Amino acid sequence: MEPLFQSTSLVQRAFWLVRLRWLAIATLAISAFAAREFFKISLPAQQLNILVIVLAVYNFLLYDLLKYLTWGGKNPSHKTISRMITFQISADLFILTAILHFSGGIENPFFFYFVFHMVIASILLTPRQSYLQATLALLLFGSLIFLEYNGTIPHYKLTGFVSHELYGDSLFVFGTFFVFATTLYLVVYMTTSISALLRERQQDYEQANQLLKQKDRLKNEYVLRLTHDIRGHLAAIESCLDIVNNRITGELNEKQADMIERALRRTSKCMMFVNALLKLTRMKMGGALELSFVPLKNIFFNTIAAVENKAEAKSIDLKYRIDDSIGEAEIYVEPVLIEEAISNLLLNAIKYTPEKGKVQLSAADQGDNILIEVSDTGIGVPPEEIDRLFEEFYRATNARKIERDGTGLGLSIVKQVIERHGGKVWAQNNPDGGSTFSFTLPKPPQETEKSPAS
Amino acid sequence: MGYGRILIVDDDPDITEAIKMVLENEGYSVESASDGTAGLEHIKKNRPDLVILDVMMNTIDEGFVLSRELKSNPRLKSIPILMITSIGQKTGIDFEEASGDETWLPVDGFLSKPVEAESLLSKVKTLLHEQ
Repeated sequence: MEPLFQSTSLVQRAFWLVRLRWLAIATLAISAFAAREFFKISLPAQQLNILVIVLAVYNFLLYDLLKYLTWGGKNPSHKTISRMITFQISADLFILTAILHFSGGIENPFFFYFVFHMVIASILLTPRQSYLQATLALLLFGSLIFLEYNGTIPHYKLTGFVSHELYGDSLFVFGTFFVFATTLYLVVYMTTSISALLRERQQDYEQANQLLKQKDRLKNEYVLRLTHDIRGHLAAIESCLDIVNNRITGELNEKQADMIERALRRTSKCMMFVNALLKLTRMKMGGALELSFVPLKNIFFNTIAAVENKAEAKSIDLKYRIDDSIGEAEIYVEPVLIEEAISNLLLNAIKYTPEKGKVQLSAADQGDNILIEVSDTGIGVPPEEIDRLFEEFYRATNARKIERDGTGLGLSIVKQVIERHGGKVWAQNNPDGGSTFSFTLPKPPQETEKSPAS
Repeated sequence: MGYGRILIVDDDPDITEAIKMVLENEGYSVESASDGTAGLEHIKKNRPDLVILDVMMNTIDEGFVLSRELKSNPRLKSIPILMITSIGQKTGIDFEEASGDETWLPVDGFLSKPVEAESLLSKVKTLLHEQ
């Protein structure tokens, strides 16, 4: 039988049981109090208080045990957790029986609370285990009412609640037990069949998901092979054209030179596109990142240096700023990729900002994250298109007017890089014109922040 | 040697330049426009003998729209249109067959990119009744 819950969510269910138990403890304490004070029903206060305390201690211990088992992202095995849940439910059955014993036995209608345990067992455990739990509940409750009936154990009378001595009435005891037993088994039967249906659905869903992943992988492999082939042909074309363009094959007249130049420019555009597609696809295909600690400052220096010329050519004021609190911070990233992402953003900003505009790269401290932003005084993004910017091949309508044949892949690459580093990326229009592209990078964990070399 | 005035409407400057070069080499006088609006204006003003039209410009069907507009205008109807595009390979639509259908693709000839000089010239000559 497949588990309905993966062990991580089973752990969550185990915590959920602990929370439910706090609720049950509170209900018990309050209803015992209310029964005594408001309804003048006689109850053995001492025994019930002891049970409340036992239940509370037991719940604390369970909570600690669960915390211990899941400490620091540890994922206990499915078996461990499922055993723990089985144990909890059985223990709860014992405790409920004890509570019932001290509060009237069969005369206390709270015995129907056994149904809750059955529902919980049927959801979390296998049908076999659920039926076993139902049988345990019936054995416990059955023994309780039988032993009280024949006087082996004392009966605590709920004076003020029932006027007759029902616990000694054989027909009443037998009839109640019969209805109770059928109820429990039916509840388990119904709930386990619904759970089984859910399990099936979950399996179907997981299979579909698996298939989807497989197909996506296939698609990526296909794109990779295709782009690789095209790249080979393009490289050959480029080399041949280059030879003619460099007059190695002889002088060119004006028209020839113009045509060759056009051809070369288009070839290199296509090459850029193919390279971007290769990069994006490789990144999507995964493989581990080559992470290392690098000062944020160095990343900023390198990216600024890489795009400075382009900014100067358009007399754009290119600045960068790092918050003092993270002025010396190191980030744990694959530097080449992060530099590529930032320079993609900077190059975009420069491309879509008119001459004499401003482009600023900044880093701010955000607690667990570092926020990196590239803002410009450029053309901005049409508001209805802002959500689609990071889609593959998508190009904003106003960007298309400035550069006719961009790849539409630059921002997709940025998104892939940042998300693979555990960050988020988004874009906004500035209130006073231009746009800001932002992304976060998680700070490295404190204890490993200082690399031995520094 | 050909004669006659030809207008190219295409937003790709390199394709425009390449076609221009082929046609000018044959003696045609060639002008160009980079979108549908400018193209229509030019046609109304100068009434060229042939229009060479690209499909995808600013919008995906700008060329279609322009060709329908020309063919529904009684004064401009008689100007032959040669449509050039790479869209056929993408969609699988057989433009060659559809061309000439007044309601669907009202053009007089069709060529797909990349355009070879020889087939371009032969189409142009046919449409200008030089052959």
